[in-house]
Amino acid sequence: MKPTIIQQPNHSNRTLKSIFTLAILLFSVTLFSQVTISGKVVDEKGKPVSGANIFIEGTYDGASSNETGSFSFTTTTIGNQTLVVSFLIFETSKTVIDVANFQNRTIKLRESVTSLDAVVITAGTLEAGDKARVSVLKPLDIVTTAGSAGNIIAALQTLPGTQTVGEDGRLFVRGGEANETQTFVDGIRVAQPYGATTNNLPTRGRFSPFLFSGISFSTGGYSAEYGEALSSVLLLNTQDEPDQNKTEIALMTVGLGLGNTQKWKKSSLSVNANYINLAPYQAVIPQNVDWNSPFQSLSGETVYRYNFNNGILKVYAAFDSSKFDINQENINSPEKIRVDLNNNNFYLNSSYKGVFGNNWQITSGLSYGYSNNKINLDSDKVANDENAAHLKLKLKKSFSDRLKLSFGADYFVTQFNEDFKENSGSVFTNGYDANIAAIYTEADIFFSKKWAAKIGVRASNNDLLNETAISPRVSFAYKMAKNSQFSFAYGDFTQTPNAEYIKYSKNHQFESEKASHYILNFQYNKNGKTFRAETYFKDYSNLVKFDTGMATFNSVYDNTGSGYAKGLDLFWRDGKSIKNLEYWVSYSYIDTERDYKNFSSQVTPSFVADHSLSIVTKYWINDWKSQIGFTNSYSSGRPYNNPNEAEFMNGKTKAYNSLSFNWAYLLSQQKILYFSVSNVLGSQNVFGYEYANNPDNAGFYNRKEIVPTADRFFFVGFFWTISNDKKDNQLKNL
Amino acid sequence: MTKIITTIALFVCSLLSAQGQFEQGMGKAFQLWGEGKNTEASDLFERIAGAEKTSWLPNYYVALVNTTTAFRTKDKEQMNLLLTKAQNSLDTEMGKNPNNAELLVMQAMIHTAWIAFDPMTNGQKLSGTVMELYGKAQAIAPENPRVVFGKAEFEIGGAKFWGTDTKPMCVQIEKAIGLFATFKPETPFSPKWGLERATAALKNCK
Repeated sequence: MKPTIIQQPNHSNRTLKSIFTLAILLFSVTLFSQVTISGKVVDEKGKPVSGANIFIEGTYDGASSNETGSFSFTTTTIGNQTLVVSFLIFETSKTVIDVANFQNRTIKLRESVTSLDAVVITAGTLEAGDKARVSVLKPLDIVTTAGSAGNIIAALQTLPGTQTVGEDGRLFVRGGEANETQTFVDGIRVAQPYGATTNNLPTRGRFSPFLFSGISFSTGGYSAEYGEALSSVLLLNTQDEPDQNKTEIALMTVGLGLGNTQKWKKSSLSVNANYINLAPYQAVIPQNVDWNSPFQSLSGETVYRYNFNNGILKVYAAFDSSKFDINQENINSPEKIRVDLNNNNFYLNSSYKGVFGNNWQITSGLSYGYSNNKINLDSDKVANDENAAHLKLKLKKSFSDRLKLSFGADYFVTQFNEDFKENSGSVFTNGYDANIAAIYTEADIFFSKKWAAKIGVRASNNDLLNETAISPRVSFAYKMAKNSQFSFAYGDFTQTPNAEYIKYSKNHQFESEKASHYILNFQYNKNGKTFRAETYFKDYSNLVKFDTGMATFNSVYDNTGSGYAKGLDLFWRDGKSIKNLEYWVSYSYIDTERDYKNFSSQVTPSFVADHSLSIVTKYWINDWKSQIGFTNSYSSGRPYNNPNEAEFMNGKTKAYNSLSFNWAYLLSQQKILYFSVSNVLGSQNVFGYEYANNPDNAGFYNRKEIVPTADRFFFVGFFWTISNDKKDNQLKNL
Repeated sequence: MTKIITTIALFVCSLLSAQGQFEQGMGKAFQLWGEGKNTEASDLFERIAGAEKTSWLPNYYVALVNTTTAFRTKDKEQMNLLLTKAQNSLDTEMGKNPNNAELLVMQAMIHTAWIAFDPMTNGQKLSGTVMELYGKAQAIAPENPRVVFGKAEFEIGGAKFWGTDTKPMCVQIEKAIGLFATFKPETPFSPKWGLERATAALKNCK
């Protein structure tokens, strides 16, 4: 195209003239080189995409596609340019085009695998939190679930795949023992996640729920990032940033709480302290055990966060000192046995998460846990302490939205020492010192928005057991319709045997226990409704066996135990059908048998109930400014061994049922009155039986019921938040 | 010498034409928005944002167009798309100007849209953050009418629920209306909206 040059007359100054000429030349180029760009935007199936933004990069020249996907615009650019087509749910397409020659073209967009409705691998995983795409629980649920009493673990026990083991309180997942679940805070192990306790006195989780913004509970088939857990991992993530400065005060029938949060430009600090004393509660509610001194604890937590330009550093520390003194009945002695327990626990966790370079992400951190118990059993004294540390480094590289590769290393150190001092004065010392080094790698692959896979492998070396294990982990997910998808997971898992056994490793050689998981999951999500069905098979091998009534230093140990678990877990949650009502229903069926410990044959262990059903409801009554909740937990009878019968583990308890109720009343925006009571109906639950070691004169083994420490637990609390905006409250703490 | 002047002149010319282009483009986008063509308006603002990296206004308007559209949307998926888009655009500018009161108000509005959509879930989670944003904006620009009005309007929602007195917020809304009259936008395209909404809100006060 030949530009038109207009001669400007009467200009004596040549320079000025040429400037004008050039300027005009420039404009005329602009005017005369306008070309049209046109075409059609379609998705992978060829369907038109309307509302896409099509433009020449770095210019204003562009248009939006209409209902038929067509677009057309003019541009003044020339030559080769980058044509950008963007629409939120698709991957942005960038192509270099010759602007003179781009008419009636079709542009195909690929669906973005990061969009909200893309497939997610859900096999085995139950999520709670803001960031979770498929979450079964909301962060608030942990604390507003009736019967949970602010205990994260108790709220998780309303989810499928868990067992209610009332005399223990810990998480039992899919036929696994409680120690088969490993807890992580910000990706770093917590060696002692539960408060110390004694036989048949339930414990609770150490962590106060309000510091955590996300919880991911995996009941199997989890990532290669996590090891040393046969059944399950519980991942707790602390908040990145608190919302504002505030002071929180709690006055409760069981004690006092005080918290404060301060925010600065780049950092923030939260501190809380609690004093719990169960004396008033024990005075009001009749107790099934004989307390010399009630449960008391003094605990504190603090989180410090610092935001760098490219990352965040978090330091979490918790201290907990607790004690109680009881007289426990024992079928083998006419006198009650006095248990006087003192526990001190300290946990420090620091982690750094950041990005660097070209799409690299780094997560690193370390934790240190110290637990010290002093237990007086009548005149015998047990003192143990455990030092546990975890060092972690993980790197993740995003090659694209469709391919991410991560690899990392873990180092676990555990030192356990126990002194058992008999009344006679003799002292027995047992303990172990284990170092585990592990490396892993894992790839996250999206084949399309519908197909995703996670493939990983973990290798670990345990110096105490002198062994190396390689564990593959694989999972797939396929989205077959807009709201529903299938996932499958397979994985091999290993774990060092329980401290109860390996504290005798000085005299015996142990091997890691092993499990393989196969999980098939179906999930349906639509408008605040979630349905989830999961079926699984777990194969246990290499379990520890011994030949005596109790595990002692002179028992004969081997790793010949084995077992299996299979079952079906169902979950339904609905927060939309009835206004102001949220509810969920969990049902679990399990068929499991084990031959481990000192079992004489492969049987269902005593902590397993074949059927478990939980119904949780929360109803908001606007006129009363109240949330009222009910939780009903049911489990069918649990097996027990009756030595009066020939067959091992042949007995079955009656079914367990507990209906809990809570009521949160918002006195004003920042003042909440909270009331809760567990087992409202006063069901006389029996967890099992303790049989005498020796028969009586008639040759009969006597027994004693194992029952809850009290039939009911009740709680009244007043929670007051003081903040500048007068808006925030502690509903989330309840 | 000739060359230098030519180069400067060229530069000035292209600058002038770019300046004209910005005004023209922004004008066109506002026109589309006025016609109710929200997608087209948002797309054009987005294109301008891509070409003019030094101005925070185009991205601000991408966020504003999509957030106001989201307030009127009932469909969850659509709502999600609109607010995600608004958030992405706002994040780009927030990174550059973390202390811009207008951007802080915009962030508070995006959160408010989420709260309005699902008060049970998002109210508890975001109310504190919204108040903090308004608090921060007020510290930076106490005389900005959108800051004063936005904060008062958000507080009225809470006060109505609790049955507490809304008079102090109404006084603030009145103050905001006064500020709208004296508020001088920095550039012709700087935010100046809000008087109509404030007047309507004041009517509800009485």
